[in-house]
Amino acid sequence: MNGINVDINHLKKGEVNLGTSIMAVKFDGGVILGADSRTTTGAYIANRVTDKLTQVHGTVWCCRSGSAADTQAVADIVKYHLELYEAQHGAPPTTKIAASLFQELCYNNKDALTAGIICAGYDDKEKGAIYSIPIGGSIHKQEYAIAGSGSTFIYGYCNKNFKSNMTRDETVEFIKTSLSQAIKWDGSSGGVIRMVVLTASGVERLVFYPEDYVNA
Amino acid sequence: MSNPASINGGSAVAMVGKDCVAIACDLRLGNQSLGVANNFEKVFQFGHVFLGLTGLATDVITLNETFRFKTNLYKMREERDIEPETFANLVSTSLYEKRFGPYFVGPIVAGINSKTNQPFICSFDSIGCIDYSKDFAVVGTASDQLYGMCEGLYEPNLSPDDLFETISQALLNANDRDALSGWGAAVYIITKDKISKRYLKSRQD
Amino acid sequence: MAGLSFDNHQRNQFLSAKGFGSPKATSTGTTIVGVKFEGGVVIAADTRATSGPIVADKNCEKLHRLSPTIWCAGAGTAADTEMVTQLIGSNLELHAMSTERKPRVVTALTMLKQHLFKYQGHIGAYLIVGGVDPTGAHLFSIHAHGSTDIGFYQSLGSGSLAAMAVLESNWKEGLTKEEAMKLCTEAIEAGIWNDLGSGSNVDLCVMEVGKDAQLYRNYLKPNVREAKVKSYKFARGTTAVLKESIYNLVDIEETVVPMEVDTEA
Repeated sequence: MNGINVDINHLKKGEVNLGTSIMAVKFDGGVILGADSRTTTGAYIANRVTDKLTQVHGTVWCCRSGSAADTQAVADIVKYHLELYEAQHGAPPTTKIAASLFQELCYNNKDALTAGIICAGYDDKEKGAIYSIPIGGSIHKQEYAIAGSGSTFIYGYCNKNFKSNMTRDETVEFIKTSLSQAIKWDGSSGGVIRMVVLTASGVERLVFYPEDYVNA
Repeated sequence: MSNPASINGGSAVAMVGKDCVAIACDLRLGNQSLGVANNFEKVFQFGHVFLGLTGLATDVITLNETFRFKTNLYKMREERDIEPETFANLVSTSLYEKRFGPYFVGPIVAGINSKTNQPFICSFDSIGCIDYSKDFAVVGTASDQLYGMCEGLYEPNLSPDDLFETISQALLNANDRDALSGWGAAVYIITKDKISKRYLKSRQD
Repeated sequence: MAGLSFDNHQRNQFLSAKGFGSPKATSTGTTIVGVKFEGGVVIAADTRATSGPIVADKNCEKLHRLSPTIWCAGAGTAADTEMVTQLIGSNLELHAMSTERKPRVVTALTMLKQHLFKYQGHIGAYLIVGGVDPTGAHLFSIHAHGSTDIGFYQSLGSGSLAAMAVLESNWKEGLTKEEAMKLCTEAIEAGIWNDLGSGSNVDLCVMEVGKDAQLYRNYLKPNVREAKVKSYKFARGTTAVLKESIYNLVDIEETVVPMEVDTEA
């Protein structure tokens, strides 16, 4: 490794991968995260009902892509720090704080990690916020974010169809159609579409089965 | 042949009989195909427990000394000899300690528990996984042949004298089909109050 | 002294470089499964251990106890599943004693996944963890790299595909204990018959809320060896003996008798 070219192919042979299509979208009331539910070991589907949307604190969540082991470990560490943060500060952490923790862990351990994370949440300061933290450990604040192997198929669609300040229902539909296309074209993505709606009123979880989204 | 455990060659086998156990080994030590010594015994005694150690000779010697050291300390602390079951766990943990830089050995343990008088045998892989057995255990470069011989010849509840014939024939005939084992054999027949050790007449090629 | 020692690592690397590779460790080719039911969970395993193409153990135990109510089925490198399970079992008991609470399945899960993640997959343990605790019944699976999955039914090991085929077609919601035991047995049997790495018998462990775990060792034995029709006993004296030495084990009793000492003069 020379610091510029990072060879990610030498990492982790035969381990569990989140092939994945994940995304997060801001809307007028907050933010919605969405993900497929497929995890694979090679060509075998190790889990067809995976939950790739992980709570790290209250209304701050993340979408995980890459190595299942790495992203779970990172999410567990962030979760621990945020719990400690609230105990010490007497106030819940913001999405930005969570995202910074993810970014720092992913950057400092970039040689050992295969983790692509979207950190999104709702807090009183920033309202809805989305931070994308791709493989090298950089951080990008976005209005909406897509990631994972399936995301390559929906860059165009999302770019054309995303609108700022959509309603909740419009956003759910947008994510549903986007992910249904990602799932359709990407072999490493599949199963159900899971979502989590993060607003001032808290957390709401949604599941869409194949029959609910194939014609979305 | 590209395996460190088969540079020096050698095999061992243990069997359970009626109120007795047997453990046997060949006597060859080689350097690949060159025979070097015909008096390299691979069965060692710690109190009333017997340990067969096959594999890389340097590790066989090192581990024998390690276990002599550990069982002597055990005897001083506990004021009694180590039992076969306990010794098996000692072997297991000692080998697993070297999980990422293993000793290239194939150990077997045989003995009779002095409290319960129950015969006990087991074998291990090189990183300490215990393979408990009710009938027979085999290790070494002739292990494939020994598996075949034992599956064919073994029967339960053999008397010490019959067990001697069965284990000896199993070892001898397995060794005759392994270029790296042979050059003599030693057989221990163990009962609760008697140990007999016999050197067998065998092919010398 | 404590922990793993890397003393021989450099020597073995040198040996590898010279063309003397590593010997094969015993692997549990294995089919293992776990199924949740109303008020509990059951895990099951086959009993074959292999070393390359050789069946090393025809009736090994792949169901390990982490605590009296939390059990774990192991696939992968046999020594690793055994040792990691013993280590976490010990730490779980110490943790239970210091917190004065019954151990929880998620605690076992977290300890296992953090340990395995630390070793980056080099500890080849693939586990299905099931158990009951004050929180209820739980079922998880763990891969060697440290990732975990949750579900109503799980399968792992080389026979997991055969087992999963049975689970996917026969699993339904709200199974009874007996139905879950039957489903597990059938899934393991699928592995025993259709996977070369799995074989022999079915071991089963049932954990019910509010009860002690029940281990059914060799719950099903579909591969009993036929008794030999003839005896292969050799006539005494078949084997030629060069030298014989006999050691009689005798009890030595030592009694100390005080000497009479003349105190006069």
